[in-house]
Amino acid sequence: MHWRCPLFLLLGHPHDPCCEAVRRELERRERKAVLTADPMAAPARFSWRLSNSGSEIRFEIRDACYSNDELEGVLVRSSGYVEPTGWRPEDLAYMQAESQAALLAWLWSLSCPVVNLYPAFVWYSPRAPLVSWLPLLRRSGLPAPPTLITNVDREARAFGAASGNGDGGIVYSPLATETRYLIGQGDDWRGIEAIARVVPVCLSPPHGAVEVVQVVGEATFWEREPAPAAIALEPALCRFAAAAGLSFVELVLAPVAGRLVVVAVEPQPRLERLAPGQRRAVANHLVDLLTDSRWRDAPAEPRRTVS
Amino acid sequence: MILVCGGLADRVTELVCARLDDCGYEYRLLDLGSYPTGFEIHCRWDDPATPVTGYLAGPDWRLELGEISGVYVRLLGLEGRRLPESVPAPATASVIHELDLGLLALFEDLPCPVVNRLRGSYSNNSKVLQALLVRRSGLLTPPTLVTNDPDEASRFLDELGEEGAIYKSLSGVRSIVRRLEPEQRARLPLLRHGPVQLQAYVPGDDVRVHVVGDDLHATRVRSKATDYRYARRQGHQVEMEPAELPEEVAEACRWLARELGLLLAGVDLRETPSGEYYCFEVNPSPGFLYYERGSGQPISSSLANLLHRGTAAPADQPGRSRPSA
Repeated sequence: MHWRCPLFLLLGHPHDPCCEAVRRELERRERKAVLTADPMAAPARFSWRLSNSGSEIRFEIRDACYSNDELEGVLVRSSGYVEPTGWRPEDLAYMQAESQAALLAWLWSLSCPVVNLYPAFVWYSPRAPLVSWLPLLRRSGLPAPPTLITNVDREARAFGAASGNGDGGIVYSPLATETRYLIGQGDDWRGIEAIARVVPVCLSPPHGAVEVVQVVGEATFWEREPAPAAIALEPALCRFAAAAGLSFVELVLAPVAGRLVVVAVEPQPRLERLAPGQRRAVANHLVDLLTDSRWRDAPAEPRRTVS
Repeated sequence: MILVCGGLADRVTELVCARLDDCGYEYRLLDLGSYPTGFEIHCRWDDPATPVTGYLAGPDWRLELGEISGVYVRLLGLEGRRLPESVPAPATASVIHELDLGLLALFEDLPCPVVNRLRGSYSNNSKVLQALLVRRSGLLTPPTLVTNDPDEASRFLDELGEEGAIYKSLSGVRSIVRRLEPEQRARLPLLRHGPVQLQAYVPGDDVRVHVVGDDLHATRVRSKATDYRYARRQGHQVEMEPAELPEEVAEACRWLARELGLLLAGVDLRETPSGEYYCFEVNPSPGFLYYERGSGQPISSSLANLLHRGTAAPADQPGRSRPSA
């Protein structure tokens, strides 16, 4: 066992394009990076001592050992993955919860740059439905599609008639999944009414072709050349990312009734959704964030004391 | 008008309703035991500049969202829910999840006080994340080790001396806090499979503090059990009485609740024989009935008043401030 030079830790899976691109960029800048999906289980060794007087880590991976000061930055692409092999389902769920809890807190204890340093509500519900982002989108100045949650048939029909594409078309979006259903007429509406007797339905108007944008710090990267209406939203996109506490976030925009609105928020952006040139630019910016000395130099929050 | 969203079969929700009745405060009950059967929900997000509009309706009432002065929400587990018979058993959990997501999205966007909004509750899924905040509050957090390294665990235990250590879950999964006995050290090699939390044992009296808006009720709990919640199971008694807290400790508890965006919080403290206060956890959905019955303190009255007053509530989770390392 030996102590090594400063390290960038990439928490993710080996085939994640984002981890790969960031690792390549770090290597190009002659910085050392290690990728692991689970830093809290063998073969890694992890210890974190926490008290009122300090916070010390000792992290051992690939026969090298690192302390707090030797971690230069952490890219987070996995939220406490536990390899399921060998676990009973009930024990796996417990270990998953324990690993997630430990990892989130440890990330928040670090003084080095962490991208993303997920707020707890995003860490624990990364697939939150768009409707749960609506208050924050609104405060950031980002438009969203008209949305209805109801189990009242007449209200659903009225919303469909007012918001649909003229022939009653409307989109049904179950809140717990990413599946979307385009509702037409007749049988489709009877199906919606049958569902609404069991669980309220979430409806919104259909949208046009989507545009993907990824926000990295204060920079935006578009899937393709953005239209002026999209460019006009860039300040609001950056405000949203900052307000959400996400220095790397993907948003999906699309026209609804002639207006560009946010139709999805992805706190774990997929680099592969961008063109190769943009991927390299995103990786570059991510490495800029990970090597940003202002993070380490930022003044600590004043501590309150109880005598 | 107050909205209570919970199940009458849940004794804490039942107490909240009874207290609202006693106080003469009008409320509507969205009974999660039977929801959505017998209820109407209609929530619209139309104008990008304004919060949600719409209404909720029960068997003999209709409540416009704009009329709600405060919401008390206490979700029920699977066992307390009755779904329509058309729902096949394997789909029960996913249907309930879908039901809860819709309600929680609504509550996130209501401008009135909500006890509690979901965002503030997530920190309780990581006790050690809360410990970082506790350190900033000015309260003490016990020396803690999170590790998957048996050798480091052994060193930590050796350093603690006679008082020894306890172990408990890191996550929100409910666990019984237990002293680590010598014979359990033989199992330390199993730690290689995942992290565990070991913590220095802190002697003293437990003090449960319920923060309700600006009100605060501190209850001293005396028991010989390591985890008083399970005292009877271990053959021990529990005694409770109202406690007086030093003002700076009380203010630290209020600060913790505010930082977490919680209008109602159950803060678990322990006062050592030398008068120091350690904080173990902040519960975002405290079962305060147990303490109100044990101590006679008017916790539910404070909650009823808060919901009735309808004072402004923090709509956001606390900012992304970095806990000091």
